[in-house]
Amino acid sequence: MLRKLTPYLFILPLMAFLAVFTYVPILQSVNLSFREWDFMSPTKLWVGLENYQLLLSSRDFWNAVKVTTIFAVISVPLRLALALAIASYLVRETIVSRLMRGALFLPSVTSTVSIAVVFSWVFSTDYGMINAGLAWLGFERVQWMQDPQLALYVIIFVNTWKQLGYDIIIYIAGLQAVPTELYDAASVDGGRRLHVFRRVTLPLVMPTTYFLLVVSVIDAFQVFTIVNVMTKGGPAGATDMIVNMLYRVGFTLFDIGQGSALAVILFVFLIALAVLKARVIGRKVHYEA
Amino acid sequence: MKPDLTSSRGMWVMNALVLAAGLMFLSPVLYSIWMSFQTADAYYAGHLDFTLSNYELAVAEYNFARYLLNSLIVSGVVTLAGIAVATMAAYAFARYRFPGGNLAFAAVVATLMIPSHITLIPNYLTLAKAGLLDSYAGLILPAISSGFAAFFLRQYIRGIPRALDEAAYMDGANAFQVLWRVIVPISKPAIFSMGLHLFISEWNNYIWPLVAIGKEDLYTLQVGLARLYRINPGEDVIDWPLVMAASTITILPVLLGFVLVERHLVRGITMGAVK
Repeated sequence: MLRKLTPYLFILPLMAFLAVFTYVPILQSVNLSFREWDFMSPTKLWVGLENYQLLLSSRDFWNAVKVTTIFAVISVPLRLALALAIASYLVRETIVSRLMRGALFLPSVTSTVSIAVVFSWVFSTDYGMINAGLAWLGFERVQWMQDPQLALYVIIFVNTWKQLGYDIIIYIAGLQAVPTELYDAASVDGGRRLHVFRRVTLPLVMPTTYFLLVVSVIDAFQVFTIVNVMTKGGPAGATDMIVNMLYRVGFTLFDIGQGSALAVILFVFLIALAVLKARVIGRKVHYEA
Repeated sequence: MKPDLTSSRGMWVMNALVLAAGLMFLSPVLYSIWMSFQTADAYYAGHLDFTLSNYELAVAEYNFARYLLNSLIVSGVVTLAGIAVATMAAYAFARYRFPGGNLAFAAVVATLMIPSHITLIPNYLTLAKAGLLDSYAGLILPAISSGFAAFFLRQYIRGIPRALDEAAYMDGANAFQVLWRVIVPISKPAIFSMGLHLFISEWNNYIWPLVAIGKEDLYTLQVGLARLYRINPGEDVIDWPLVMAASTITILPVLLGFVLVERHLVRGITMGAVK
């Protein structure tokens, strides 16, 4: 009898924690998204789809969708292209290339709050590194984080700076899995470097690219810390990404219903994305020998 | 190597350029650490100086020693408990076939795709109901279960030959002893990688302590640093050297650890991604 129970006892703690803090909360979020509540009042009034209707007809929601989409559309290709280019160079095993990998990887394990604070200084109008450089070259100082046209690009820059090393490490692992004979064969054929890159490297790292594509899109839709510290979503909503709006609605406006509706929309969207990409990857994965 | 002068000189130049690019890439962080040793007066006047006064101020006036302690306690406990819970589950998933086992494992893997923000409001309500907001427990409990660590360790344990388990069973060991005496020692590299992963993610966690903690005494470094930076918005009043000292305190433990164990970190990440 005890024999049969053994595996259940081993998985019990993990499953219990996941149930309390992950599985049940998802259902709770769905439930709360149909209600009106402010953390305080004794009743959680059932309002059906009203929270969703309010969200879908609010300018804030569509602004957050727009801002987050722009963020993803710019930052994802930027991350992948830079990472693949740098990884192709750093894939060789020299001391310099290892040091460089370390330097590039460091930000991805460093506190995001610290990075956001440091870059708030880098981009600050009066004392920042960038404006000091511009002033030295004789240009006007730019109000990076106060200009609605620029603030989102600052956020994209900081996020790319932080995440790039992770992408590079993954690409290097992918590149190292490419059999070197393929390169030898290609260069015997007189293939030039760009040609070899296009015809050999690119197709062979496709599975890695798809993996990073999923990861970076999901990341883009969960950006919060950098925005919260650097701009609080401003100026004028220019950096109000979806999770920042979720935090704002839930924990500063205390509108639990709408906050939950927003969380459910984000959840459904990201799951759909993950499932879609799982199918695409499933089809393309034959490159992996 | 052939003593070919032109190409080796070319290589030196290339290496120097790459290293310079690396330094430039890290320059904001390097400069922030340097700035933390400047007096505010010297910094704003553009002089050079060396002082520890910013650190003294961060600790004495702004309680950063306490935040450091809070971060160490929370991340430490999350790491130990998280590893224990994940290793036990990984062992069962790797070694036992049992009714519901596949379903449970699929449910664990599914958590890798679930965006954590959907649990934010409900977890806040759960802990409020339990009276655990504003406590270490409130910071620790929601972070213990890591589907990623359980999945990763299960893959690793599956690679360990079963003959080793069986030899131990022959010697009269029970399942728990096999886990503790056979599986855990062999899995040390994987466990270490996952421990680092858990520690770093919890150390850098921001949104949860931000919503779950109101008492200043229980701030983690992340929340304390963000608050310190936000105390005086408006550029002319920010004491940048002080803020950078606080930021350096926040970065330092992970930075030091990084220098020592980078390889393990990279292994954990690439094994999770490529396998």
